[in-house]
Amino acid sequence: MLLDKSVNHDEVLLRTLAGRNFYASIQTVVKQKSDGQLLLYGIIEDISERKHAEQVINELNETLMKRAQELESVNKELEAFSYSVSHDLRAPLRALDGFSRILLDEYQDRLDDKAKDRLSRIRKAAQTMSGLIDDLLQLSRITRVELTVKPVNLSQLATDIIVELQKEASEHQVSCIIQDNVTALGDAKLLRIVLVNLLGNAWKFTRNTDQAVIEFGVRSSETESTTIYYVRDNGAGFDMAYADKLFKAFQRLHSANEFPGTGIGLATVYRIILKHSGRIWAQSEIGQGACFYFTLGK
Amino acid sequence: MEKTILLVEDNPDDEELTLHAMAMHNLANQIVVARDGVEALDYLFGTGRFTGRNPNDLPTVVLLDINLPKLNGIEVLKRIRSEQLTQLLPVVLLTSSNEEEDRLKSYSLGANSYVRKPVDFEEFIKVAGQLGLYWILINQPAV
Repeated sequence: MLLDKSVNHDEVLLRTLAGRNFYASIQTVVKQKSDGQLLLYGIIEDISERKHAEQVINELNETLMKRAQELESVNKELEAFSYSVSHDLRAPLRALDGFSRILLDEYQDRLDDKAKDRLSRIRKAAQTMSGLIDDLLQLSRITRVELTVKPVNLSQLATDIIVELQKEASEHQVSCIIQDNVTALGDAKLLRIVLVNLLGNAWKFTRNTDQAVIEFGVRSSETESTTIYYVRDNGAGFDMAYADKLFKAFQRLHSANEFPGTGIGLATVYRIILKHSGRIWAQSEIGQGACFYFTLGK
Repeated sequence: MEKTILLVEDNPDDEELTLHAMAMHNLANQIVVARDGVEALDYLFGTGRFTGRNPNDLPTVVLLDINLPKLNGIEVLKRIRSEQLTQLLPVVLLTSSNEEEDRLKSYSLGANSYVRKPVDFEEFIKVAGQLGLYWILINQPAV
């Protein structure tokens, strides 16, 4: 049956004399000598380990697929969750703020100052929470969105944002120095959020600074191959000892009384920069202003 | 004919606040409230609780919330656009959500406007006034 034939890497289950089963790969050539005697040349290779490795890989693949499915369903759940937050969490806040305002309005001659103050606090808290919800939703959205990468004129974006900041707080005098023609490859919507936060922070933390200056530009460097963008201010600054907390959600380095904020802004910025495969870091000294540097892409 | 605004709102707090805000601009008398999507359609087509109402007396504008029990705002909008009688009726989504998905769906289904209800009540009063003024006094309807 095997006459002048060969067997190539056939896998068979064999048993050793000691009774152990093992998978083997057989390679054999059958020859017939002139006297009619049959000769078998061959190799029997114990492939139990390879078989075992294959099985492990298959199992791993299955686990991975299961994980991917789980992740997808978690993602969907998260999406449904933030959708519901977006819809359902604001209505009660609107009621808190609205009815407090109506009380302040309709009962103003019957409420003493203390009562009015307390109602104002309810309103302020409701509005703070509404801001928190907006910022959190934005943070979670950034994780979910796909980047649309295009050339973006950052100088133009920065100028537009400064104009908006000036409109909101015209009493705050700031000299803004924006370098011309700074461009980047990235997602315009997300890079806008980065600059809104960094310039917004610079604006906020120079509130008590005489002759406030905010700068945006590219750091010229001969050694660096990647472009380093920066936003610098000469405001309140922060203690570098807490620099590692800067980009974590809900971490604030100033009290809400001093400088209000939700503590989500820089966490959002960090996620956007990470999504662009970039880096962000800061340098500061208390009372000496702060400078935020970031790169986009490797 | 008296101009009316159909407000579709299931949350009693939001209803009260919207009515209050509208009253600040003397617009409260013109508002009819439907408390879910089915009721809104019943009002428009003179069915259910509104059997006998003349469906040809259309409101000037519908202020439609998205998150509604039974039929949600998006489904109501779809029905409004699919009926000949109401296909050109101005519909403004007035909602808490600022989800892009909701805005896209609303506009692609033929919403005339999409307005987010602010949490700050002073802002809300302004928004209500501008909406009322625009849709009741400035806008010229198709029919």
